[in-house]
Amino acid sequence: MSYVYAVARLRSMENRFLDASFFARLIDSATLDDALKSLGETVYAQGISGAPDAGGFDRIIDGELIAACDDLKRFVPDKELVDLCRMPHDFNNVKVILKSLFKAREGGERRYDLLSRLGAVDTESLIMALEGEEYGFLPYRLGDVIPRCWSLWEQTKDPQCVETVLDGHLFAAMLELARELEGKLKTGAVTRWVEHKIDAENLRNAVRLQRMGCDPAAALPFFHKGGTIGPGDAARLMGEPLESWSKSLSHTGIGAALEVSQERADVQVTLSEISKALDGYLIRVLEKAKYSTSAPENVILYLLRKEEEARNLRIALVCVANGLNREFARRLLSHGR
Amino acid sequence: MDVLGLMLGLLGAAFAAGMAGIGSAVGIGIAGESAAGVMSEDPDKFGSCLILQALPGTQGIYGLLIAFIVLNKLGLLGGQPVSISWSQGLLVFAACLPIAIVGWYSAIWQGKTSAASIQMISKKPDAFAKAVILPAMVETYAVLALLTSFITLMVISF
Repeated sequence: MSYVYAVARLRSMENRFLDASFFARLIDSATLDDALKSLGETVYAQGISGAPDAGGFDRIIDGELIAACDDLKRFVPDKELVDLCRMPHDFNNVKVILKSLFKAREGGERRYDLLSRLGAVDTESLIMALEGEEYGFLPYRLGDVIPRCWSLWEQTKDPQCVETVLDGHLFAAMLELARELEGKLKTGAVTRWVEHKIDAENLRNAVRLQRMGCDPAAALPFFHKGGTIGPGDAARLMGEPLESWSKSLSHTGIGAALEVSQERADVQVTLSEISKALDGYLIRVLEKAKYSTSAPENVILYLLRKEEEARNLRIALVCVANGLNREFARRLLSHGR
Repeated sequence: MDVLGLMLGLLGAAFAAGMAGIGSAVGIGIAGESAAGVMSEDPDKFGSCLILQALPGTQGIYGLLIAFIVLNKLGLLGGQPVSISWSQGLLVFAACLPIAIVGWYSAIWQGKTSAASIQMISKKPDAFAKAVILPAMVETYAVLALLTSFITLMVISF
């Protein structure tokens, strides 16, 4: 299979993305049953068998995302592109298992129900490797970092510190895989995308830490290396008001994405607006590829749009299921296609 | 009989048919990959995809046409080879170069444009006419090369 074939197939698959008018209709549904009925007329119909409970739609959405990834793996020449997009889910699963093991040591309950099926690595084998301390079986050289996580936990008892170490390792592993891929693909776009992803994560962390009143110097360990914005620059931003970040970052592409961000009283609103802007930016940096008939980054672009669609669906369905303010949900939606 | 002249003429015919044919095969291959990708998801687009895929095939036909004209001119089709000097053979060879080179290169690029047009109709089926025009623009230069080779061959007299 070649990328000309793969990209052409992706173009056809893009026709099945849910558009903005569908999301408008979905949010206006009176009940969850009505919303699921509307969803039943789309590609998500396959997952709707029987009547799912209020949280069952997560299973439907995850099922569609997994099916999309499996589909892509069948015809994309470099399967690692799909793995690259699924890697954050694997690391998320590792975090869930580790936290469960930490809790179990203190007599708490394991929360394996929080594991995601969206990772590239089977959750059962992750559990077996981590519970059995057979770290050699772990992917992405996680075996090197897990003992460090355990000793950090023993010292601090702070799961946040462990998460930061794992996030740092995730981005290092993503960069390594992207650079490996670039050796074959020769585009440079995949590595650039990972660098921008690191920038986006650093900026999200900077917003969170700023709102928590954290000192910039103390925040330094929470920023990750490898992006176009260094950890020091990200920490310096915390000393500035949010409105001026786009100006301070005008030398980078990500600065323009933050132009819409304003300080709000509600930290969650600020975070979700910034997250939305950064997610949109991560899609835009790859959008040049949509004019190419054979650019490999179209694979990542498709998966990002699929994830954006899934995120929008979750927002809409949670809003309908819990009778939340529809206008608020509309504001949270990313540009539904 | 000057064998070298005849050999040069034959080499020109081989170049015209061979290079333009290779270009067409590559171009059709590229467009075919794109068509297969679209049809994997939407088999109803077979008709439009086939037309767009066939477009880069014309260069191969132009090359073959020039090769036939050369073979005819050299008397090889009738079994009575004409006697030509090496300089006349070189002229025939030179006359074949436009369609050989332009045919080869334009067919590959037309294939790429066809692949893009196939992707375009996968998203906008109504834009089929526009999708055909884009690769057809590349064809212009293959036609110009065909005319150049044809006229040049016509003015060479033995």
